[in-house]
Amino acid sequence: MAVFDPKVATRPPPRKVKVVIRKYNPETGKAWWQEHEIETYRGMTVLDALLKIKEEQDHTLTLRYSCRMAVCGSCGMTINGTPRLACQTQLAQVASNHNPVVRVEPMYNFKVVKDLLTDFTEFFEKHRKVKPYLIREDIEEQENPKLEYRLTPEEYEEFYQYSLCIACGLCVSACPIFASDTRFLGPQALAQAYRFVIDPRDEGYKVRLELVDSLDGVFGCHFAASCSAVCPKEVDPAAAIQRLRSLLLKYRLKLFRKKINGPVEPLREVKEKVPLPGDAQTLDGVDLEALENQPVVIPVEILSK
Amino acid sequence: MGKSVRDLVKYLDLRPGWRAFIDPFILKLWNNPERVAFHMHRITGVITAFFIFIHIITTNVPARAGWEAYLEEVRNLEAITPTSVLFYLAMGAVLFHGINGVRLILVEALAWGIGRPEKPKPPYIAPSLRGRQRALIHVTFALWIILWLALGYVMFLT
Ligand code: SF4
Ligand code: FES
Repeated sequence: MAVFDPKVATRPPPRKVKVVIRKYNPETGKAWWQEHEIETYRGMTVLDALLKIKEEQDHTLTLRYSCRMAVCGSCGMTINGTPRLACQTQLAQVASNHNPVVRVEPMYNFKVVKDLLTDFTEFFEKHRKVKPYLIREDIEEQENPKLEYRLTPEEYEEFYQYSLCIACGLCVSACPIFASDTRFLGPQALAQAYRFVIDPRDEGYKVRLELVDSLDGVFGCHFAASCSAVCPKEVDPAAAIQRLRSLLLKYRLKLFRKKINGPVEPLREVKEKVPLPGDAQTLDGVDLEALENQPVVIPVEILSK
Repeated sequence: MGKSVRDLVKYLDLRPGWRAFIDPFILKLWNNPERVAFHMHRITGVITAFFIFIHIITTNVPARAGWEAYLEEVRNLEAITPTSVLFYLAMGAVLFHGINGVRLILVEALAWGIGRPEKPKPPYIAPSLRGRQRALIHVTFALWIILWLALGYVMFLT
């Protein structure tokens, strides 16, 4: 993530901040910079500032946001030249008393629809292209599962980090390759491809490896690592792409054998019994022994009514 | 014609990424020397390509004018002339491109030094930005400057 220093982020922002916004009107095709001055309060984020401007000064300001807590990935923007989530960026982080100016632009490498709103169609098309879901050969078993797929904590840790992606597109907007080649799959899609390729429950890795084996796939990346530097969720797409590439080379040299986990019986481990403290007493009429042997029944029918 | 140019301008304005491509410093990113190395690799790559082109033309001097003329030309590189300075600059580009290329092979093909995947924890710096490849970048830059200075010493001062 782009330098997060809690000491700076919790400081009060300057009392007045000048917000300079890149506006774009799709009807006339004109783009211009627009200045607003707002009063701030402690803990104000850039998104709060933009919404305040939209409420009080310029109702035509267009932007996309939803959760206001860095979960939905809607509010990516270029703030003072750095791709960041507006809701996650404190004004205190980007404006200081000797330079109380915040420049807000739409994300780079995306088509602008209006003002700060960018078009994610291509982005999600690319995401869809790498098949970001588990592919099994036995579809019948996958659709109507009787058992569960095995996944050990160690295997889980291999891809957990990459599964945190919120599809905010900041990595794509920071990618210098994407700036020159818009057919490049982009860090987000490639990181997701890697996440499913190494998932031991997935059997579609060959399809995905064929798919990313091109100049628009893994070989387009030259490790500028800007994606990892801006990712708000520490997904580390740069490392994922390097791993995917070396894995692809191994696969081409026929050195890669993927471990695939099939369905297994769920673990039924006998839990250790925690002894009651010596002076503990049960309520009248409660038979602990009988309760322990009785299976737990959740009355689903009643709950769903 | 006029319309298509206007269309192009509009297209570029709708895709502000091209500015980031032309101007490497339009984005302000911290903790990212990899990006500096990336841009330098591109620039030095272009210079190296030009250099090779000119190098092929100049090294056919013996075919045109004999070995004596060629040796004379090489000896001229020792004095500080526009040609020798340009040659020195081109050599800097070739050196960087070569050393950085070795680093890129290690990192890109062998996925060396980019850390292990982990559960994110504060201050949320990605493992690949903390891995051993970061030290390798510093080594690359240090080696480049040392070798380039050494080359200058050998070329001009001895
Ligand atoms: S990898 Fe990170 S920066 Fe890229 S889309 Fe996912 S969460 Fe956003
Ligand atoms: S509004 Fe959801 S990530 Fe910013």
